[in-house]
Amino acid sequence: MIKNYFRPKTIDELSELKLKTKGYLFSGGTDLFVKLRAGTIDTDTVIDTKYLNSRKIEITGNKLFIPINATYSELRMFIKQNNVNNMLENIVKTIGSPMIRNRGTPVGNISNASPAGDFVLASYLFNAQVIIEPTSRKLPVKNFIKGPGKIDLRENEFVYGIELEILNDYKFYFEKVGRRNAMIISIASLGLLLKEKDNKIKDIRIAFGSVAPYILRDENLEKSLIGETINEELFKHIAIEYQKLSSPITDVRATKEYRKSLVHNLVIKAYNNLFEKVVKE
Amino acid sequence: MKINVTINNEKKELEIAPDDILLDVLRRYGYHSVRRGCDTGMCGICTVLLDGKPVPSCSIFAARVDGHEITTVEGLPEAKELAKILAEEGADQCGFCSPGLIVNTVYLKKLKIKKIEEVKIKLIGNLCRCTGYVGQHRAIEKFLGVEK
Ligand SMILES: Cc1cc2nc3c(=O)[nH]c(=O)nc-3n(C[C@H](O)[C@H](O)[C@H](O)COP(=O)(O)OP(=O)(O)OC[C@H]3O[C@@H](n4cnc5c(N)ncnc54)[C@H](O)[C@@H]3O)c2cc1C
Repeated sequence: MIKNYFRPKTIDELSELKLKTKGYLFSGGTDLFVKLRAGTIDTDTVIDTKYLNSRKIEITGNKLFIPINATYSELRMFIKQNNVNNMLENIVKTIGSPMIRNRGTPVGNISNASPAGDFVLASYLFNAQVIIEPTSRKLPVKNFIKGPGKIDLRENEFVYGIELEILNDYKFYFEKVGRRNAMIISIASLGLLLKEKDNKIKDIRIAFGSVAPYILRDENLEKSLIGETINEELFKHIAIEYQKLSSPITDVRATKEYRKSLVHNLVIKAYNNLFEKVVKE
Repeated sequence: MKINVTINNEKKELEIAPDDILLDVLRRYGYHSVRRGCDTGMCGICTVLLDGKPVPSCSIFAARVDGHEITTVEGLPEAKELAKILAEEGADQCGFCSPGLIVNTVYLKKLKIKKIEEVKIKLIGNLCRCTGYVGQHRAIEKFLGVEK
């Protein structure tokens, strides 16, 4: 039962409160409330992050900085107004509903560290760095997330923001498979970024959600694809390799066998869509 | 603890507990249009406007809205007109989801959204378990003046 509610204004204040009370941070609350009601979190203290004086969403050099408290709706607006990393829009618009996006935050998604988290997947694709205060630690998202719901954070620390690479001239494909068309936790998801030159791969990044205990991305496999000619054979190879790397589970949403076939088929589908092998209406 | 909020353009000082949820506080103070649905932010029934934007009141601590503005159906003059059209189009069956839907639809009217595809996307978070949505959409199209 919650007895204390704090509204710290500075980084130090927030950090001291978190250390002293072991309380939970409340940003958008869209994950926190679910966990409180399900009883997976039991705490007497809530630390509201909204009153913290923090930086705003901004472009610094070739990075897009997303601070604590910035909502999905705010991020969408920023992306549109500044014409930066527009690919993100395709991911963000699938998260929850407009009401959820008015509350939920990318930093909350990363802190929650679900292997189904759509912004976690986006962060992997954009080589995100997680910025942690008050220690000013900065680490790649793949090192920050240790497993489902597990993050590399000390008791006095919190996530201050995330920094994504700004990418131009990439082809992009994102698909989230679920049991309905909207407001879904995905059964599996795929995000793919590809830069080509003379029909050969210059850079490729592939990430899957919900098919392993963490977001699945294999940079060695990606490296081995650089310079290869883009054709169906190559994507069949990618599909088979990722199928081998995936380790899905069976849960209420789908069986592991179904998820395995999705890994394969989503890669082929991405190829067909990106290289217009699909007849559009 | 005390919070100062503007509810439907009226300034209020409310006594709340640290674990009070906005939904419960609003109901306690007589804003009965705000209803509890799924209690997880999925169904849209408890939608209110926070500083003019639709949010799920079931997933916000009341302490968060200190110094902010809340609008419920009671504070939306256009709500009556939409409620009437919903009734005329047979879009109210049990009527439980109507307040959240009305708040969100009036918000869309303020944004002057008139494209049916956009309307559908924006209302994706307002679930209804009885009407099958067809009647609701007839009513909403009328209310918003959706271009055909
Ligand atoms: C109806 C509904 C639909 C949803 N749909 C999707 C979806 O499509 N895709 C998806 O990925 N997610 C979805 N979610 C989950 C959720 O909305 C997202 O994960 C969201 O990004 C969480 O952000 P938040 O600000 O609300 O986090 P909060 O709930 O405030 O926080 C999440 C967790 O992180 C901790 N925390 C918060 N901020 C920090 C910080 N700065 N440092 C350290 N720890 C912190 C909190 O204590 C809590 O444990 C959905 C949720 C609901 C209720």
